[in-house]
Amino acid sequence: MRDRLPHPIRTVRAALQRRDGRTAFLLGAAGYSLLYLVSVGQLALGGRGWSVWVVDAPVTRALEQTRPFSFEPVARVVADSVVFLVSPLDLAVALVLATLVGCNLAVAVAVWRSPTVCGVGESAGFLAGVPALLTGATCCGPAVLFAFGVGATGSLVTVFGYATPVTALLLVGGLLFVARSLDANAIRSDG
Amino acid sequence: MGSRHTRREAMALGVGVAGAIAGCLGSRSGGTATGGSTPEGPRDSSAAPPAADRSPLVTYGAGRLRDETVSGGVPKDGIPSVDDPSLADADEATFLRDDDLVFGVVRGDDVRAYPRKILVHHEIVNDRLDGVAVSVTYCPLTGTTLGFERGSTTFGVSGNLVNSNLVMYDRATDSRWPQVLSTAVEGPLAGRPLREFDLVWTRWSRWRTRHPETTVLSERTGYARNYGVDPYGSYAPRRGYYARDSTMFDPLATDDRLGPKAVVVGVRTATDAVAVTVDRLRERGVVTVTGTGDRFAFVHDAALDATYTYRVPPDVTVESTTDDAVRVDGTRHAPDAVPLERLHGIESMWFAWAGFYPETTLYA
Repeated sequence: MRDRLPHPIRTVRAALQRRDGRTAFLLGAAGYSLLYLVSVGQLALGGRGWSVWVVDAPVTRALEQTRPFSFEPVARVVADSVVFLVSPLDLAVALVLATLVGCNLAVAVAVWRSPTVCGVGESAGFLAGVPALLTGATCCGPAVLFAFGVGATGSLVTVFGYATPVTALLLVGGLLFVARSLDANAIRSDG
Repeated sequence: MGSRHTRREAMALGVGVAGAIAGCLGSRSGGTATGGSTPEGPRDSSAAPPAADRSPLVTYGAGRLRDETVSGGVPKDGIPSVDDPSLADADEATFLRDDDLVFGVVRGDDVRAYPRKILVHHEIVNDRLDGVAVSVTYCPLTGTTLGFERGSTTFGVSGNLVNSNLVMYDRATDSRWPQVLSTAVEGPLAGRPLREFDLVWTRWSRWRTRHPETTVLSERTGYARNYGVDPYGSYAPRRGYYARDSTMFDPLATDDRLGPKAVVVGVRTATDAVAVTVDRLRERGVVTVTGTGDRFAFVHDAALDATYTYRVPPDVTVESTTDDAVRVDGTRHAPDAVPLERLHGIESMWFAWAGFYPETTLYA
């Protein structure tokens, strides 16, 4: 059964069987989820009191697009000073990306901590981290360009609109690259 | 407060999640995946917004303006207008702090304030004032607020910008209307000017003191937003986009007589465009400026820290007084009740005003 799994999945599974791999996965996935929600403005400070409010017709609203690969929130949750805008589709996007980031980090840590493997640890970590940062551009391409002092042209705005799928592809590509570069059996299970 | 979820809704949500992951969902009004939209053609010209009697100055041809229109990175209606505004009395508006900026308007029996912190998330409120259907609009990138009569249609945010300025579309004909120009530049109504009305920038405490009977746009817009956060930074005190000299999008023209984000109050007629810096106006109380044809008076209302603009006949004198009033040919008047032709003053960031009106007269 094990041998029938695609090689990248076997590599990830081997990494997640290690304690340090699981820790890296959880930290990476949770941290990235929070960063993503902050970057798209759905998790922020600025509230008062405690409240939950849901829009009318939430299903219809949830499908309305606000930006490329970003959709309307259907609820506002205020917890003291923290405001969380609940957009189901944005959460789904965040979870997919966060899972990929977590897998990349888990493999990177497992490779790094396994003395039987060498030569791919640094690239694995790089491939996990850099694409993840790219997706911050999803929230508002012109604002990101502005922050770097670059004027927004139509073509640049178009490119930034695809930051989310490009990030996902890079993260998947990172996993494939690392998996092809090593033998999953080389990741020791006692980390 | 709550909402009931049926199995059909759950299935729809599941389909939506799958669609989002695949990146296949479109915008709510047919915008492109990467932002902005192009007009889809006439739908119902009979519901078009009413035309103004006179067109304001438009320096550039419609073709140039269309060529200079760019996507702002959001699809059509990606920034949703408020189409069913909910109002609160002044005493109920606990979500406003005294120093919050509001855009105030008095029209017939209606006195209303529109909080900037709500408008920065929606840019357009389709409302009714004194029985007239209107749209109150605000563009955060140019710092401009204008009111328009909308007829039986509503305005929405196209997702496009020209000179960094909001390009609105009307939902009857899908014509495109740059906010500051107040004139359609694309679509079946191209060339039609909108009927405008004045809004004043002021602070909530000042407005409420002047107009205790005011109503105010409430945070119950129908959309889940964090109105405590300005996505572009902070307007007062200035931080982020509002503080930096650079702009996100190239202006139509540059003019270094002032810094790009300096705030001016401008007025334009069919042939003239003149502007005064807000700082200088606060110092002087009244500033009169002669354009290429007419003479204009900018009058500062110290109680509101707001501005009113008037057209001044050649032989009339307008002076400030020591008690925050205005003297016209020796007779004292309140700043908002000067017996001259009232014009639509537009508070704007300098780069935007100079971009639209490169030949503008400036008093700084």
